[in-house]
Amino acid sequence: MARIRFEGVGKQYPNGYVALKDLHLDIGDKEFLVLLGPSGCGKSTTLNMIAGLEDVSEGNLFFDSEVMNTVPPHKRDVAMVFQSYALYPNKSVYENIAFGLRMRKHPKDEIDKRVRDAARRLEIEPLLERRPDQLSGGQRQRVALGRAMVRKPSVFLMDEPLSNLDATLRISMRAEIKQLHQAMQTTFVYVTHDQAEALTLADRIVVMRNGLVQQIGTPDAIYEQPRNMFVASFLGNPAINLLEGHIAEENGRLRFKRGALNLNLSPHLTQLLAGQAGRAVVLGLRAEDVVMDGGQSDGEQLQGRILSVLPVGSDQFLEMEVEGSKLFFRVGKEGQYKVGEIATLKVNLNRLHLFDQKDSQSLAW
Amino acid sequence: MKIQHLGRRSLLFFSSLLFVLYVMAPIGWLLSSSFQSEAEITSVPPHWLPHQPTTENFAAIFQAKDKVVTYENRKQGDSATGGYIPSTAKDLLPSMWNSLLVAIAVVILNLLVSVPAAYALAKIRFIGRTSSIYFMLTTRVIPDIALVVPFFLFVQKLGLLDNLLSLVITYLAITVPFSIFILTGYFESLPDELDKAARVDGCSRLQTLLLVYLPLALPSLVAVVLFTFLTSWNEFLLALMFTQTPASQTMPIVVASFTSDFTISFSFINAAGVLAIIPPVIIAILFERYIVSGLTAGAVKG
Repeated sequence: MARIRFEGVGKQYPNGYVALKDLHLDIGDKEFLVLLGPSGCGKSTTLNMIAGLEDVSEGNLFFDSEVMNTVPPHKRDVAMVFQSYALYPNKSVYENIAFGLRMRKHPKDEIDKRVRDAARRLEIEPLLERRPDQLSGGQRQRVALGRAMVRKPSVFLMDEPLSNLDATLRISMRAEIKQLHQAMQTTFVYVTHDQAEALTLADRIVVMRNGLVQQIGTPDAIYEQPRNMFVASFLGNPAINLLEGHIAEENGRLRFKRGALNLNLSPHLTQLLAGQAGRAVVLGLRAEDVVMDGGQSDGEQLQGRILSVLPVGSDQFLEMEVEGSKLFFRVGKEGQYKVGEIATLKVNLNRLHLFDQKDSQSLAW
Repeated sequence: MKIQHLGRRSLLFFSSLLFVLYVMAPIGWLLSSSFQSEAEITSVPPHWLPHQPTTENFAAIFQAKDKVVTYENRKQGDSATGGYIPSTAKDLLPSMWNSLLVAIAVVILNLLVSVPAAYALAKIRFIGRTSSIYFMLTTRVIPDIALVVPFFLFVQKLGLLDNLLSLVITYLAITVPFSIFILTGYFESLPDELDKAARVDGCSRLQTLLLVYLPLALPSLVAVVLFTFLTSWNEFLLALMFTQTPASQTMPIVVASFTSDFTISFSFINAAGVLAIIPPVIIAILFERYIVSGLTAGAVKG
């Protein structure tokens, strides 16, 4: 039961480095919130502040209606999972999991019951007597999860918990973490720099950069309506194609133009940008927002020379040179493409993103 | 390949053997001569194994007080026969007790101060952190002899001359900065996330230090204990300045006095030397098994 609220929170380190600026954020009870951004963006600082491991330099941090700025970590009802797991190397798995409960003076038989329950859930029962150095990375990760789980905290914090695991394990652990959230019915705050993790896990994502929030929203909203070029290019794999050009008006319709490339804008954008013909913009086009061909008409075609063809099993990636830029597209695997050929693709016009060239903000907002 | 390997190993073996011999020879001689009579020690050529082993030197330390040399009888005993022991011999055992008291007090107080200090310096970011580390280290580049006069005035003003406390205080001033330096380095090598994990798990700062870091820091704690104990056990210069009577004299002072008496009995001095190295050796053996490497393996990935 905890709602976490940041009100104008900032963080400056003693050496003058500003890690976080004027954060306003409201995390709902039982929400799964993901803080996403490149390293140094302030996401871990934010998480550490919730845990009480970093002071709040300015502004206020609330749990429900209580100001938490100076409450030490052991007096907050939070549990945390670390990237390096941070297991106590001299304690057995059992003691690692039980430690938090012992510190909070739970009765012995209750501790035992909770530890064994968690171990059963995480399938690490046979490992209880081992020491961390006798475990594999995945097993350590489970112990770290168990250590946080048994506490039944009102806030569950995770700092890049999966980034030390190999790719397959990471994907199966994602599913487990999601189940854990459903089972535990508690607030989760999860830090990652992996956009795929954020998109799969989050109820809401906070995209951060240089200590500033770039956008807050559901995974869909962030992916479909990025607020600026940074958010657009941080999410999506391969990264969104960005192409500089300008807006032109032809026959009463607005178009995006760059050399021979000439794309109709959606009615929505046309309405928003009315009278702005000639404005310098950046076009954002995701790799999957094209189809191979079929019934092309003027204003939705994209032509380019194929530089490489990369089959990835389910479909194939094309690297194309379009108007002097290298762009990546994902197309169905039925299409026959050869390097060096000129290919024509049909663009899904409803999914074009336009950004201002100067401040890189989205023009659709 | 195999032969090369063998050659390499035997080379290593023999050079280590040579080194061990080099280090052990003086101690061997000390031990051997403590069981020899004065006549045997001074005989030419000297020999490693006593021809007629005797425990008389040790007996003299523990009981015989009648054979003490005085101004009057100084010429009666021929030093080569070993009949006499220095007049200060009776002070040896009390002085060892003094040394032990001082060393133990210094070790305990030193740990009480340097462990929390090192934890704070290693794990808490505060303004002036780096400069305090450097400042403490600079106190260690000043030679002890330069500190003798200020220390003496300080001790005198406190009225602690000829008092064991004067030694405890000054030895702490010498050992604490170095202990903090060793421990800070070690705590820094322990992952920060362990500190965070413990505090989120419900530990206060002090509990984090005591329950999580101290068990992991055992190897460096042992190093600090050994260093501190040996420093105060062996310290000579300050003890010479601040102590005047057997009430506060420590072992090195009393042993040194044996060489400036009416007679010099090598056998007796060597027996005292053997006694003097016993406590450090016991401590080293006791703690040796705690110097375990790799105690932190598995704390973080890898």
